Amino acid sequence: MLFNILRRDLKRKKSINIILMIFVILASTFIASGANNMVTVFNALDNYFDMAEVPDYWVSTSDSRSVENFKSFADENNYSYKDNTMAMINPKDVKIDGKVFDYSNTTVISRINDTNLFLENGEQLKSVADGEIYVSSLMWFSDSNDFHEGSKVVIKCGDLSKEFVVKSYVKDAVFGSGMISMTRFLVSDNDFEFFKENEKSVLFDSFFLNTDDSEFNIKFTDLELNVLFSIDRETVKLTYIMDILMSAIVFVVSICLILISLAILRFTIDFTMTEEFREIGVMKAIGISNRGIRGLYIIKYTAISIVGSAIGFILSIPFGSLMLQSTSKNIMISNSGNYALNVMCSALSAFIVVMFCYLCTRKIKRFSPIDAIRNGETGERYSKKGVIHLSNSKLPLILSMSLNDVISSFKKYVSMFLIFVIGILLVIIPLNIVNTLKSDSFIQAFGMAKSNVIILQETYFDNSGNNKQMLEEKIENIKDYLNENDIESKVFQEAFFKFYISKDDKKTSSIATQGIGDSSCDMYTYLDGTPPQNKNEIAVSHIVADRIDVKIGDDISVNIGNEVKKYTVTAIYQTMMNMGEGVRFSETEDLDYNYITGCFAIQVLYTDNPNQQTINERNELLAENYPECELMTTAEYVDMMDGGISGQIDGVKILILSIVIFINILVTVLMTKSFITKEKCEIAILKAIGFRNNAIAAWQALRICLILAASTVVGVLIGSPISQFVFSQISSIMGAYNCPIEINTLETFLIYPIGVLLITGVSAFLSSLSVRKISASDTSTNE
Amino acid sequence: MNTILKVNELCKTYIVNKRQNNVLRNVSFSVDEGEMIAVMGPSGSGKSTLLYAVSGMEKATAGEVLFGDQSIDKMSEKELSKLRLDEMGFIFQQMYMLKNLSLLDNIILPACMSKKIKQRRKEVTERGLALMHKLGIAEVADNDINEVSGGQLQRACICRSMINNPKVIFADEPTGALNRNSSDEVMEELLKINSEGTTVMLVTHDIKVASRCSRVLYIVDGNISGEYNFDRDFSESKLREREKMLNGWLMEMGW
Repeated sequence: MLFNILRRDLKRKKSINIILMIFVILASTFIASGANNMVTVFNALDNYFDMAEVPDYWVSTSDSRSVENFKSFADENNYSYKDNTMAMINPKDVKIDGKVFDYSNTTVISRINDTNLFLENGEQLKSVADGEIYVSSLMWFSDSNDFHEGSKVVIKCGDLSKEFVVKSYVKDAVFGSGMISMTRFLVSDNDFEFFKENEKSVLFDSFFLNTDDSEFNIKFTDLELNVLFSIDRETVKLTYIMDILMSAIVFVVSICLILISLAILRFTIDFTMTEEFREIGVMKAIGISNRGIRGLYIIKYTAISIVGSAIGFILSIPFGSLMLQSTSKNIMISNSGNYALNVMCSALSAFIVVMFCYLCTRKIKRFSPIDAIRNGETGERYSKKGVIHLSNSKLPLILSMSLNDVISSFKKYVSMFLIFVIGILLVIIPLNIVNTLKSDSFIQAFGMAKSNVIILQETYFDNSGNNKQMLEEKIENIKDYLNENDIESKVFQEAFFKFYISKDDKKTSSIATQGIGDSSCDMYTYLDGTPPQNKNEIAVSHIVADRIDVKIGDDISVNIGNEVKKYTVTAIYQTMMNMGEGVRFSETEDLDYNYITGCFAIQVLYTDNPNQQTINERNELLAENYPECELMTTAEYVDMMDGGISGQIDGVKILILSIVIFINILVTVLMTKSFITKEKCEIAILKAIGFRNNAIAAWQALRICLILAASTVVGVLIGSPISQFVFSQISSIMGAYNCPIEINTLETFLIYPIGVLLITGVSAFLSSLSVRKISASDTSTNE
Repeated sequence: MNTILKVNELCKTYIVNKRQNNVLRNVSFSVDEGEMIAVMGPSGSGKSTLLYAVSGMEKATAGEVLFGDQSIDKMSEKELSKLRLDEMGFIFQQMYMLKNLSLLDNIILPACMSKKIKQRRKEVTERGLALMHKLGIAEVADNDINEVSGGQLQRACICRSMINNPKVIFADEPTGALNRNSSDEVMEELLKINSEGTTVMLVTHDIKVASRCSRVLYIVDGNISGEYNFDRDFSESKLREREKMLNGWLMEMGW
């Protein structure tokens, strides 16, 4: 008997049951794959770092005295370490099948005697044959270069060049993250001698050190070596944040989907029960217990949730792998044996569905048979239902009716409202994040000044004492060219150093920057204080300020070579460069440029406020005159700095948009069908009194459109502060906690919301057209 | 008198579980303007189907229905909607109304939709209120539909059916869900409407209701098996006699 009732129910409400099952499948798929991806990526990073034997500390220096000091320091303290000499090369000196290597970050040639490297099939790369070259996955998968097995790579070093054949790509843990901004080619020991012996080569030593000495940092800082950079294992791991972030996005989407599924379920169960009050009443009247009646519903939803979750589990495996595909290009990911988590998540979603059903069916207990027969209404009501009266309203009839329905029975539409709000938020938040990451002003989050164009040029430094002069000449050259063309501009660049900074007994090493050319400290933004203007003034990042516990007005010591200089902190700033560490000197301070470790790109700011077309024309002019340089817009430069994450989020944004539209359409179809089933009688009466199909469909669709419009407005309004909150969480991990999000008004407030609104509105109208199937005479077949 | 409704050889067949069910078989009759005609018959005889087919709510399988000089079976869905909206009124046994609208709003709904009488919303409302006043329910105009009695609700349905000044009102057991007092009140209203010139065609099981009509059609198994005509004397003294005569005739018909 029970089986018969269930069978008939499933058959009679086929479309609603199918849509509900689709939601359970989606929720199960997303939660299982999302959770698995999170755990996989987190564990994968640990496993990968262990497999690759990523050291506890990675220190690089090109200073021979520092090399010696480091070695004796390690020996004295019994630290085990590996030393690998590497050669820095200009990407312009590399040709792949005759084409110049298109890469903007630092490129290095190295042997394979530091960390473990892995091939595509997961095997470890043990050796490289002479004449062969392996490429880091970052370069291999970059769109701008076409690496493939057998590609001819020619690397020029001074007047000599050497040819290699590309063998494959490798997963390189320490050079593998986009945020490290350094990648490498791997060659054999014999081939490396070509670079090592070449006097034009820029060589540096990388030390990969392992220790469990908790005082290593203090001892190393006291050593005061002149290093290019020093980074610990946890920080290297942090540079993979973007890979984790992508999985986190999938996970958040999964949680939203399960919330949506629960809202749908609640609506469906409520709807089913009000639909079947009479049946429930009859069952009660003939003596079936509350438990029996509840059991009927629970069995039905248990069946749906078990089948849905099982299908969701199966789908979560390929879907999870698909989502991990981009991440597994960079890191070693092992999925084997992790399906237990998928099973658990799918089972959990089924359990939530059943529990939810159990809670929703509680109200069956409260009704007497007579209440149930009266469709759950006792006849008592303490508030008026109709809010908008046709007799007073000046609105068009259909709009009045729809608006009145929505306002007077808003509870009925709450699930739909929440689902649409979540959907809009899912679209708007990544949109705002992508727009912020792509905006010109985002460069300020990297502690840099605004500019119109960025000129990338490979620069190598030595100890000849001419480093500053060389940089100034380059800037002067560009400045002269612009002046010759009557272009008013500021041309500037930031040089960076690695110095030790201390206050009292607290000490840290940090990147230090100083502007050259037309740069002045007031071109940069600060969280607090005033820009350093005098020689003895300095600005510090909040990360450095926290580390050595300084505030504005305090004096700090900076070790510059053998000299210790005192500076007064005048400002605190933030930067996402080097995970938030940095200090900025006044441009008037005379620093010893023998200690320079690098420089950022040359920036050009046109000071006559030109329009975009003029900017483009001037940039073209610069590109023609400086063919050896790479010109970028600020947004492109920022994208390069953050490891191309905006492109990845952009891709996910489209995926999320598609999912949201798909969900909205499904929800709309489900709700419309439910409303039409429930209001069959009212629709029939409207037909009987002469309402046309289109008018009735418009009435049905307009109600959904009104809810959609209201949720869009709410979603758009709360979307911006939520985007700000989410973005601040991400940026603060990288060192900048105060990054105002950039909202593209047209996209955020108009194009995307209206797009979602239109597509959902059209689907609401199309599904409302099923009112055609209801005949005016159906008034006689319904109660 | 002009014929407002002419039905020729009307058939309606349903196919249920691959079985053919002939609900109406070659039904023919006509209704004159101003007539009040009752359709009676045993349960399942096709009374309601006849009413719905004649009013265009149900598509006939064969035959012809002329409303004035227009053949409704040749009309499109759109034309049928317009005809129902402007020229016909409907009253059902269950007092169907939109739950979220007040009684008055439900009544004026067809007028708001119609372009027959070009009136502003305010004038439509006044007309609705006038009708309610006429039927004695003006005091519950702003009430929700669950705040009034069955009799008041059915009278509101009559108001709604009359709001566009239709030529014909179709009523499917209009008193079926009412007690005797309410039933009498509703019939009084329908008689009043009819006396003002509106044609009324109703389906009923109630001899007392049918005896107040000018003609009774008796339908069995989808066929009109008989027709009983009354004179137009509706005085209280004659009413009992009419009921008795109708009862006798119905007995003869196999009621």
